Amino acid sequence: MTKDVIVCRCEGTTLEEIATIAAEYQCSAREVKLRTRAGMGYCGGRTCRGFIDYIVSHHSNHQELTLHHRPPVRPIPFALFREVNDE
Amino acid sequence: MVDLLIIGAGPAGLAASIEAASRNLSVTIIDEFTTPGGRLLGQLHEEEKDVWWNGVEEAHTLHEKAQENGVELLLETSVYKIQQEDVYWSTHTSAGIYHSKALLIATGATEQSLPLPGWTLPGVMSIGAAQVMTNVRHVKPGEKGIIIGLNALSFAISRELRLCNIDLEGFFLPPDHFLTTDQAKPLSVLNNLMTLSHLAPMNWMRLGGKIANNNRWIQKQTLSFYPKRGINIWQTPVHVRKAVTSINGSTQVESVTVVDLRADGTMIEGSEENLEVDFVCISGGLAPLTELIGLTDLKLIAIESLGGYVPVHFEDMRTEVTDLYVAGNITGIESAKVARAQGVVAGISACIHSFNLRNDDALEIAMEKVRKERAEAKLQFHPEIEKGRTLLYSEKGEVQYG
Repeated sequence: MTKDVIVCRCEGTTLEEIATIAAEYQCSAREVKLRTRAGMGYCGGRTCRGFIDYIVSHHSNHQELTLHHRPPVRPIPFALFREVNDE
Repeated sequence: MVDLLIIGAGPAGLAASIEAASRNLSVTIIDEFTTPGGRLLGQLHEEEKDVWWNGVEEAHTLHEKAQENGVELLLETSVYKIQQEDVYWSTHTSAGIYHSKALLIATGATEQSLPLPGWTLPGVMSIGAAQVMTNVRHVKPGEKGIIIGLNALSFAISRELRLCNIDLEGFFLPPDHFLTTDQAKPLSVLNNLMTLSHLAPMNWMRLGGKIANNNRWIQKQTLSFYPKRGINIWQTPVHVRKAVTSINGSTQVESVTVVDLRADGTMIEGSEENLEVDFVCISGGLAPLTELIGLTDLKLIAIESLGGYVPVHFEDMRTEVTDLYVAGNITGIESAKVARAQGVVAGISACIHSFNLRNDDALEIAMEKVRKERAEAKLQFHPEIEKGRTLLYSEKGEVQYG
């Protein structure tokens, strides 16, 4: 079933892909993210972040397992950055 | 520059704004939604016979009081960054940057999902989304639905859907895989249901809960004799020995495949059947929405009974970061009444600790009110909430911070 269970809805990454990469590379959640694109879609990981952390923590021995929060924590238009820089 | 900026216009944020503004602080509240009230807007439940909790009315009352006290409300505005400068906070929003001396984060909770094959099809939604469609937008989510996930949240919302005459096939378990764990195992689900036995209409569970409390043998017997057609709760059949293995459809939800389970949770081969539904509600419970805390120096600590990671804070809603306060479900999943009472505490606490208001007994009275609301809560999300709170507030120094 695990290859039919999509975890990251934005990027279509499955439970099997994330678990396999975490086990193969024994890496952090961040590295799993960069290798699979899980959590890197439009929503910024708002649905799957917890799942990715959980899968990685059980499949990898890497010490630093959880993903960090970085602004912007909501999808925003690029125009907003321009306004901020103009100030 | 305002005195206090509050993120989240739910019961906690609104209640805090009233306390602070009535003590002469200038207060602004920011919320993403079009209407103030947060999750209050979807709530309608019978607490005792003929005594109803009407969240919309409650939101309206709080909003009016806030307005009377001169609170400024910014709706449809998203906060994407917060930062502490020398003596003030900067809050970056979709409507510009706001500065305030003190900041209260009352962002509430977010729903947890239960991934399964087909859950990305249109027509699949979280149980909370079905609640918003029905009670806030007055839109029927579909002709016939099914609920995946048995917990306090899905029971409470199913009743609201039934009150709107929405046809529900029943409650089913999610398929058993790595991410569904305890929510897919009949024994642990039954165990959890029995802790909800104080919910008035479920007499059979109240009885069962008393007898079976921590008795594995009785629990296993209950599972073995659990009726095949389920047991109805508010006219909706609850199945603890049937799981949905996939959601099917070409461009939208057309059916679900369900399978019978043995008492130990293993699937019975050949029992698969397809049920025609046009919408599916997934209920994996609630977790504190802490992403903004993740941008500060404040530590998060995992406490299962409070719903996951919560910001470390004191009982008076202060945090270890200067001029930063928290209140409501971000501090742990509890009822709206507890959130509202916590908001009152946070509002008073901010006046005292950030603006040198004299500390009379108002703060202690407000904290006592939170304890009382917690003890009397009709809808409890976890049986060990009080233990979780005690851990956080009394033994803070000894806790291993995550």
